[in-house]
Amino acid sequence: MLDRLIEEAPQFFSYYNVIFLGKAMLATIGLSAVGCLTGIIAGLALALVRLPTGVLWWPAKVIAVFFTELFRRIPFLVTLMLIFFAFQLTGFDLSLFVVACIAVFLIATAFLSEIIRAGFEAVHRNQWDAAAAMNFSLLETVRYVVLPQAWRIILPPAFGFFVLFIKDTALASQIGVVELTYAGRVLNNKGFSAALVFGTMLVLYFAISYPLARLGVRLEARLAKARHR
Amino acid sequence: MSYTLQYGQIWPYLPFLLDGALLSLQIAFLAFCGGLFIGTLGAAGKTFGGPIVKRLINVYVVFLTNTPQLVQIYFLYFALPDVGILLSSYVAVLIGMTLNAGAYLTEIQRAGFESVRQTEMEAAETLGFSRAQQIRYVIMPHVARVLFPPLSNHYILMTLGTSMAAIFGVEELTGRAFNVNAETFRSIEVFSVTALMYIVITVAATAILAVIGRVLLRARMRII
Repeated sequence: MLDRLIEEAPQFFSYYNVIFLGKAMLATIGLSAVGCLTGIIAGLALALVRLPTGVLWWPAKVIAVFFTELFRRIPFLVTLMLIFFAFQLTGFDLSLFVVACIAVFLIATAFLSEIIRAGFEAVHRNQWDAAAAMNFSLLETVRYVVLPQAWRIILPPAFGFFVLFIKDTALASQIGVVELTYAGRVLNNKGFSAALVFGTMLVLYFAISYPLARLGVRLEARLAKARHR
Repeated sequence: MSYTLQYGQIWPYLPFLLDGALLSLQIAFLAFCGGLFIGTLGAAGKTFGGPIVKRLINVYVVFLTNTPQLVQIYFLYFALPDVGILLSSYVAVLIGMTLNAGAYLTEIQRAGFESVRQTEMEAAETLGFSRAQQIRYVIMPHVARVLFPPLSNHYILMTLGTSMAAIFGVEELTGRAFNVNAETFRSIEVFSVTALMYIVITVAATAILAVIGRVLLRARMRII
């Protein structure tokens, strides 16, 4: 088997294949980046909505809870399919990449809002009360009191989620987004041996994911140290 | 936007889908048990093993946790036949999920092992506990209590992860949803019903696991 791999390798790593793989890798990174960035913003918004205690906020709260619980309990593949077919029906002519981005955005929002909410809850109750006593509005409390303390708690699990997330985007290949996994299948169908193709895919994913995971571990160690000072 | 939802058409397929849900649960359970076995060995090796064993386990964990499960199973399913190992799709998915779970559970359990304090062990030793008694009465209750919440969490994630098996043609819940979709073309209806089933399964699993954890291990878990 090994001699076959060595025989195929020069053909496999030809100029156009490398460019194809590079583009596919960019799509994977882009998809994850879009999901993470939009997910942080929307997740923060959802976590914020759950804070106020007024009766008027109840509908928004219910929606926020419903949203997070829902999308954390549906497999990514099923969410992708639902979004995919829903957009087909509405008649918007969106590219597959955009459809995948929307699915990714929904999932990331649900997971990150839960992480952010846990971070908010980890800030001691007294801090909220003290801020209220100083006549801070809720947004000011979050901005000046809670977030500066909570981000240390939020960041490590958020990084863990980012790393998980990059790998989950592999499922987007199922609706036909040309990202790494899809590229692997195309090359495999072209006749390159599966061991070579999927071995390369594994290495490429590893190359994206590992530095981020290392960064997360280092950040966690540094933040933990800062917290126990 | 002139589409009317017709759930009536997929109503007859409901038992078919529920059967698939059972298979999903089965895959998740088997893979979790296998993963727990690997994870226990791995965590024990990482805590008590020599430097070479530690390094080997580290390579396994780091590689498996940093690559997508889907591509790992692709590799098992498509590349292993080249060396003469022919796996059925069900077995390939099961092995892939088990190996993947093993890597994650190694990490989770290692953290649990480390949470046993040295002073606790010394106290047990002072009281004249033998090694076996130490494990039975000091380490186990403590570790079980600390580990139960993250392990049950991972079990839920794995139940969702079984949907990946559909890509390889395994007839579990998502796989059957694909089939029903192909037969009826009622995509939205089929997949929304599937999603609902997953929600029910995971909510039930979370609640049951939380009750077990609270009653048996006095672990701190939210039931809902």
